Amino acid sequence: MADSLTTVLESLWDEVEVVLGWEAGYDPFRAVPAFIRRREDLTKLLWNPLCAPNLSGYLAKTWEKTAEGPKKTAVCVKGCDSRSLVALIQEGLVSRDRLLIVGLPCSGTVDPDALNAARTSSAPVTHVRFTRDIVEIVSDDGTERIPLERVVARRCRRCRHPNPVLSDVLVGDPVDRPAPQDPFAHVRELDAQPLEARRAFWERELGRCLRCYACRNACPLCVCQDRCLAETRSPKWVSQRDSLRDKVLFHMIHTLHLAGRCTECGECERVCPMKIPIGLLKEKTAEIAFDLWHYEAGLDTLVPPPLLTYDPSVSGL
Amino acid sequence: MKRTCFLSHEDLLSWLARLAEKATVWVPDPDPAHPQVVSYKPFTPGSRPDFRRLPSLSAKGVLYPQGEVLLRFQKDKDPSAPSGYRLSFEDVLPVDCAVLFGCPPCDARGFLVFDEAFLQGPYADPYYRERRERAVVVSRVCRTWDAACFCHAVGSHPADEEGSDVQMIPVTEGHIFRAVTAKGERFLEGVGVQPTLAQHQEAQAALEQGRAQRLEDAALVSPSDDFRKRFSDAAFWRLWTERCLSCGLCTFVCPTCYCFTITDESDGIHGERLRSWDACMFHHFTQEASGHNPRPSKAERYRNRVGHKFSYFPEKHGRIACCGCGRCIRSCPVSMDIRAIVRALSQTEDAHV
Amino acid sequence: MSRALLKANPYLPHKATIREIIEETPAIRTFRIVLDDPAAMAAFSFQPGQVGQLSVFGVGESTFVINSPPTRRETLQFSVMRTGEVTRALHQLNIGDTVGVRAPLGNSFPYASMKGRDVLFVGGGIGMAPLRTLLLTMIDNRADFGDITVIYGARSPQDLCYRYEFDAWRAAGVNLILTVDADSPGWRERVGFVPTVLAEEAPSPYNRVAVTCGPPIMIKFVLAGLKQLGYDDDQIYTTLERRMKCGIGLCGRCNIGGTYVCVDGPVFSGTALRAMLPEL
Repeated sequence: MADSLTTVLESLWDEVEVVLGWEAGYDPFRAVPAFIRRREDLTKLLWNPLCAPNLSGYLAKTWEKTAEGPKKTAVCVKGCDSRSLVALIQEGLVSRDRLLIVGLPCSGTVDPDALNAARTSSAPVTHVRFTRDIVEIVSDDGTERIPLERVVARRCRRCRHPNPVLSDVLVGDPVDRPAPQDPFAHVRELDAQPLEARRAFWERELGRCLRCYACRNACPLCVCQDRCLAETRSPKWVSQRDSLRDKVLFHMIHTLHLAGRCTECGECERVCPMKIPIGLLKEKTAEIAFDLWHYEAGLDTLVPPPLLTYDPSVSGL
Repeated sequence: MKRTCFLSHEDLLSWLARLAEKATVWVPDPDPAHPQVVSYKPFTPGSRPDFRRLPSLSAKGVLYPQGEVLLRFQKDKDPSAPSGYRLSFEDVLPVDCAVLFGCPPCDARGFLVFDEAFLQGPYADPYYRERRERAVVVSRVCRTWDAACFCHAVGSHPADEEGSDVQMIPVTEGHIFRAVTAKGERFLEGVGVQPTLAQHQEAQAALEQGRAQRLEDAALVSPSDDFRKRFSDAAFWRLWTERCLSCGLCTFVCPTCYCFTITDESDGIHGERLRSWDACMFHHFTQEASGHNPRPSKAERYRNRVGHKFSYFPEKHGRIACCGCGRCIRSCPVSMDIRAIVRALSQTEDAHV
Repeated sequence: MSRALLKANPYLPHKATIREIIEETPAIRTFRIVLDDPAAMAAFSFQPGQVGQLSVFGVGESTFVINSPPTRRETLQFSVMRTGEVTRALHQLNIGDTVGVRAPLGNSFPYASMKGRDVLFVGGGIGMAPLRTLLLTMIDNRADFGDITVIYGARSPQDLCYRYEFDAWRAAGVNLILTVDADSPGWRERVGFVPTVLAEEAPSPYNRVAVTCGPPIMIKFVLAGLKQLGYDDDQIYTTLERRMKCGIGLCGRCNIGGTYVCVDGPVFSGTALRAMLPEL
């Protein structure tokens, strides 16, 4: 899979200044964001279910952009990543014409922790291979074969767009995966519980929050960056107290700023060191946006997001 | 002669229960819903501590809570005062006794960095000192490591006793406890039974195995000169930190990151001055009111993290401010690898391009 | 409360009361305070250049230089420019209000080593505050020093601090040269940027120490200007500013390399500056 990605980018190299993709990390379970500026480095590119990080966020923040030359920034996107990218284009935060979007149909990503948990051997992993449905983990103890379905991330189980919604070039065949019957099943399951049970659930889960803000910084659409009101002191919204109240308040602010914008890529949940299922909060807002306006964020670059179309003449909202 | 004793798994739990009556006994405790998430929690009769896995969070919060009250203040009505109120405040020093039980050696060693910074500097931190003096640290010989571990590269190993009062060595059917300090000797008085010769030998073998374990070969012990030479190489820092998200995860999970902020939180009448964990990776950490920021981008901020741990701190205190637990690498959303960056400090100019 | 207590819990402030507030400029106010504990006030000792943390309870703490000289003990003086959260809150306080003070903190100017020499002060805006402490200490021990020249500038006449003292400084034999960036009606002193005026005045470096403080950009050009005039690094002193929280070398934000501005500074010699990692 990675070979064809490299080949395609080699053929487009004259148009490209830098490629945002993934390369091998410190162990065989890690794929990390890569910024490739030399043609010969294209062979480092990796493409498999470990390529979890959503790279579109770099285009809008925390990344020193390349010079405004004639060449483009190539960015590799999975289905979910492409929605984030579309949302950024919709909001005017990324210029479409500066990009070469490399679409990668995706059968789901896996988390290193899930792989570790599924292993029976404790010998150091030397190699990992992916076939259509199987993860092969090679160590001195031999090869362990784990069904992909067992280790695929929660965000991917509810994915409705395994194929990029926007791309200039598509690498690989479109994935033909049945859409989940109800993408909001996880939220609805929680919603079905009595108020007290839901409250207890969120107190337990959000109680672990460290406020390290990895969720915020990994979110491609959390673009306030250094002006985030989680940290402003005047006005002061969230205190520094290590209290549930402040943790909940931060996550509510985070969630509400993404209402009608969140593209459900699930990065917030993936990066959480305390494994708090914070994606559920955003999924709830996505569900509401869908119910209210039949709107899914990040599908069409030309459609203005509903909450960005304030019209004072409309009454009765 | 160092005091040693043996406790079976069952006796261990009842000992912990007895200890918990007199002190807060912090044990690595897996989250019920997410067993991979292990954090230090006070032992209660229902606790099932996990003495194998590396806890997701370091133990620093036991002696250095994420948020702690330094002072409490209040305003009382006083018509004779020009402002109409009288203000009073007092400091709130901690009084609790803690036992940190069953941490990996890297977490115990982390406190040696705190000891230097908070007790040996121009001012001693009384909050840390109060907790530290009363605390007992029982570390376990570590037997589970992964590709992010690098304690060996910073001069340690999985059976390291430095920073521990007592060492806990897993043997068949239980654990051997071995006093390391005088405090540890007293702690073990009247505990358990004399180990059998076989248990003793098994423990000895476990210690030797741990000492011999080499996690990450190339040492990271003296990169300070290389760091200084690299300091102004903006391209180096920009490229090596390009994927960093500039969140605070690495510093929050770190056993040695001790930087903090102080803020007042108040309802207008009552309030407290809080000391909370802060992160040098955050933009606002060095943001000045004038608008100037001496570390304006993640490149300068990450450089400070590397510099603090591997150059500034060792130059001042003779000890690397890193214990090689690997949490900053393992938990990082984009697997930033501080080892690789420290090694690259000394590489040739174009090796990083 | 005493110095011993500051050592015991360095986070615990002295309680102090505002005795006088002086409106220096539209953005700068000077607060004269006394510690509520008379014994602590009597025992309070510090050196020119040392700083204190002023706190408004419920808002927070900020670092300011003690700009009254140790030779004048009735009050402790701090000048505060309104820029952020704490300084805004300080500006809202009135005479009689309570503040917290953690002081003295940080290092000081090498006052003793300056005795018997000529002195040049180069200040800009609020940067005159740390210089004032040293200047007044020298005025109070005038015989110990040779020529004292002060070049002090601000954007406009209204932005100069301590205007009410200028006559007294001159009366004490201080060669005071005032300058503003742009001319304004009624202004009878110099017009021009501080580094330019420095070059024009060109005070001889012979047996002289130079002390400068002001906006970072001014300091940068003044240091270069002094160099051109033949000043050696070890004849030059300046103070650095950084965001601070603890003030006692622990919280980790004011460091420049391994140097902590809060405890190793705020006063640095030109030699010390040169040895520092470039992260200003």
